[in-house]
Amino acid sequence: MHEMSMALEIGRIAEEKLGERSPQLVTVAVDVGDDAGVEPANLEFCLEAVFAVPPFTGARPAILRCAGDVLRVAYLEVDDGCPDD
Amino acid sequence: MAVRTIEVRERVMARNDALAAQVRARLAEHDIAAFNLVSSPGAGKTLLLERTLAELGEELDIAVITGDVQTQNDADRLAVHTSRLVSAVVTGGACHLDALQVMTALDAIDLDHTRLLFIENVGNLVCPANWDLGEASKIVLFSVTEGEDKPLKYPSMFQRSSQAVMTKTDLLAHVPFDLDLAMKNARQVNPDLEFFQLSGLTGDGMESWFEFLRASVRATGSVV
Repeated sequence: MHEMSMALEIGRIAEEKLGERSPQLVTVAVDVGDDAGVEPANLEFCLEAVFAVPPFTGARPAILRCAGDVLRVAYLEVDDGCPDD
Repeated sequence: MAVRTIEVRERVMARNDALAAQVRARLAEHDIAAFNLVSSPGAGKTLLLERTLAELGEELDIAVITGDVQTQNDADRLAVHTSRLVSAVVTGGACHLDALQVMTALDAIDLDHTRLLFIENVGNLVCPANWDLGEASKIVLFSVTEGEDKPLKYPSMFQRSSQAVMTKTDLLAHVPFDLDLAMKNARQVNPDLEFFQLSGLTGDGMESWFEFLRASVRATGSVV
């Protein structure tokens, strides 16, 4: 299923955005359009599998349904270890 | 714990699309017409290529990249019909080819002596629709042993294809398949589809397919 390919690519994008700072990844939010050709539940399942191993361990996917054929990584939530402001 | 948000807004397919653009540019440098053959499993992609290689392989300097989940069976079948390289990509479980695999496969092909490239994708009417491989166009094969409503069930593949090849027409007398209805359904999701009707088994209808390929090669700048 191509959702696994998508999940791996989403992981690559997240890793690239985190860079060398490597903060703890908490959430990866993905916009999934109704016409994106992706089954949201399958994508979430695949993302959970990808996030089960380092450097993503502990991260969880957030699938954000929307209209159109958009499929993009919307935002990341990270815990960079700094104390709360 | 201080959770911070990093805005990303990056398309998941962006990297593949960038690689596909590189493939497209590389093919354009060499005046190579490239087609991405897509269909459900068993629609007749490999047989169509066997027939095409036998008839036009040398005339149009055809090269082929085949994609299969497992085995090199399709590449082995095609290699019988040509002395040119048939590049096999075993996806190892993935349900489609991607642009990086095509880019890598091009390295093994003599592009200076190729005018027409076929990419035989993994048999699947869903996944390959999303992946640009750098082709000039996708060509969807649709056999008469499938349901007439396939274009309605899998619209994305038909929307993203420029040509539809109706295959196994020799079986029309034996199966309850309404060819007109099937083509009407396909046009409903993509009014611009160009159709071919043929039988790879008997050879009926192949000539218009061959002429289309000759014209495509001419249009890319190579003189046939």
